[in-house]
Amino acid sequence: MEYKSQKIAYWYFAAALPLFVLQIFLGLYLAYSYTWTVPQSVVDVFPFSTARAMHTNLLVLWMLLGFMGGTYYIVPEETRSEIYSEKLAYFQLFALLATGVVALVGFLFGWTQGRPLLEIPRPLDFVVVVGALIFLFNVGMTMLKAGKWTVIQGTLLGGLIFLALLYLFGIPFYKNEVIDWYYWWWVIHLWVEGAWELVTGAIMAFILMKLTGVEREVVEKWLYVEIGLFLFTGIAGTGHHYYWIGAPRYWLWIGGIFSALEPLPILLMVIDTMHHVKKRQAKIVNPLTWTYAVGCAIYHMIGAGVWGFLHTLPQINYYTHGSQVTVSHGHLAFFGAYALLNLTTFYFAMPKLKGIEVYDDSRGKYGFWIMCIAMMLMGLFFGVAGVLQSYVERVMGMGYMTAQSYMRLWMGVVFFCGISFLAGLLTTVADLLTLRPAKA
Amino acid sequence: MTKKTAFWIFLLGTLSSAVLFLALTWDTHRQVVALSHADKIDDRVVAGKRAFEKYNCNDCHTILGFGAYYAPDLTRVSRRVGDDGIRFRIRNPQAAFANSWRKMPDVHASDAEIEDMVAFFRWVGEVNNNDWPPQDSKKRLSRGEQVMVASVGVSPGAAVFQSKGCMNCHSLRGTGGTFAPPLDTIGRSLSAEQIEHYVRDPKSVNPNAKMPPQKDLTEREIDEVAKFLSSLK
Repeated sequence: MEYKSQKIAYWYFAAALPLFVLQIFLGLYLAYSYTWTVPQSVVDVFPFSTARAMHTNLLVLWMLLGFMGGTYYIVPEETRSEIYSEKLAYFQLFALLATGVVALVGFLFGWTQGRPLLEIPRPLDFVVVVGALIFLFNVGMTMLKAGKWTVIQGTLLGGLIFLALLYLFGIPFYKNEVIDWYYWWWVIHLWVEGAWELVTGAIMAFILMKLTGVEREVVEKWLYVEIGLFLFTGIAGTGHHYYWIGAPRYWLWIGGIFSALEPLPILLMVIDTMHHVKKRQAKIVNPLTWTYAVGCAIYHMIGAGVWGFLHTLPQINYYTHGSQVTVSHGHLAFFGAYALLNLTTFYFAMPKLKGIEVYDDSRGKYGFWIMCIAMMLMGLFFGVAGVLQSYVERVMGMGYMTAQSYMRLWMGVVFFCGISFLAGLLTTVADLLTLRPAKA
Repeated sequence: MTKKTAFWIFLLGTLSSAVLFLALTWDTHRQVVALSHADKIDDRVVAGKRAFEKYNCNDCHTILGFGAYYAPDLTRVSRRVGDDGIRFRIRNPQAAFANSWRKMPDVHASDAEIEDMVAFFRWVGEVNNNDWPPQDSKKRLSRGEQVMVASVGVSPGAAVFQSKGCMNCHSLRGTGGTFAPPLDTIGRSLSAEQIEHYVRDPKSVNPNAKMPPQKDLTEREIDEVAKFLSSLK
């Protein structure tokens, strides 16, 4: 830790981790409900829909906290100055957490906007907007005052502004369901395949530069090409969600072509990472941080790139759309691209924030491998269930529950993979919160 | 490659994609009016959408393929279970899903809200969305017909002929109704196209025809049954 205000990041990370754990508990409830019968009396009080709203909103909340913490860690080093206002940073953390808690408790009592992933009621939306503005103001002012611009911080700030701006499209009530979904994807798709990728690109570039000691010039050149490709493919690639919502037919080939290209920038990221590994100037200090960075690049490629490509063409998507195939892709992609990114950031920054140079990674290694393997299996079994569903329900035309009966076994297996994942996660969280120096 | 070249790749890539996307967004807005029959969105439909969101239905059911994947897609639910079917399921989920290992919560929706949702689902069901979902497609055979084709091995057209009530009036090889002419050798005098035309609108061929136009058949069913009948020679 070179700057005093970087310690803000620690509290963001420490707040994010328990939320991640809670997210997985709710995920287990979802998988359980999917496989076994939950009595009507329980369903009436705590339905699948409520648990699902909590599961996905916790995901967004802990990931955003991770990104913000990462930003507060990176910006001082990039601008060579302290954060503009520490107080604002803590206030904003508190505001975001409070909004999150109110939203989660509200869901339990049926207080919802009722659109998946955008369930936070409108009054709370405005609190989120104010929180985002405070964050952008704080980060922007730090950069402005320092007067030192780098491509990494530019990309980071650009990604965060893009992220905040798009959120606005999810707030209005649209009378037409078609238009509703049209703009719903401006938030969801353009977040995960646009804004969040910019944040990922910037954070990864920063960490790789620090870990490998490769020149800034080289890192930033790659970053430009990566985010250029991310946005080129990702923006018009939104079209792959517009195939079956009642939008014009041309989205079939526009969405098909652009989204088929979406794995390219991710592939570039993997090559970039490997290239850095080869050309590294510095010696590897913490091997686990390394494993995380490389693991993130590869998992990102598999989950988001390969799995996304598999069902993005309209001819295939006609049968797989809205099935467990989507769920399989969603889990692998979110874990590969963003959960691992945040954990990479945590493993990179937290020892430094605690003043530990070389940390003991004996427990952390178990956490990494258990989580990665459990999630991979989970993705595969969701995929098996999804292919069965696509065939029985879509191709054969049998009823919904008939298709579900064939999938039941695999959803049960997913539940047990989820328990293993939880074990890996608890190991990781415990390890991160109690990091200790390696024995010399 | 220099950093400057890289910067231009970034700028041109982003701008070209964004311009294309915004232009198509503008055009989509223009076309959605017709594609979604926006003129039919009345207060009832809007209130139905609000009720649908109030009870967070979309976090179990998908609609137009989006949502959670816990319960059936509702895009064509009006066609699949009918308006009464929708009312019954929302009002009495305990009874409707008594024997199911997947349950639906009782959200205690008011009668007005249930009617609103029925109107909302009826409107969504008419959205022109490239014929999705496939299981409710008008271009396919019904489930019963598919089972006949698969299990008894009859041709798809014969399955349609037997399951859609044609034999209430017509006969084949002496089996069936006597109200209308037997069709044993219909293929000698009429081609598939002529049969298709007749099935769609009998009166346009013969003003005295008693057969009603077959509006309930899907495109695929009409096509198959015409092929089948024209083969009877």
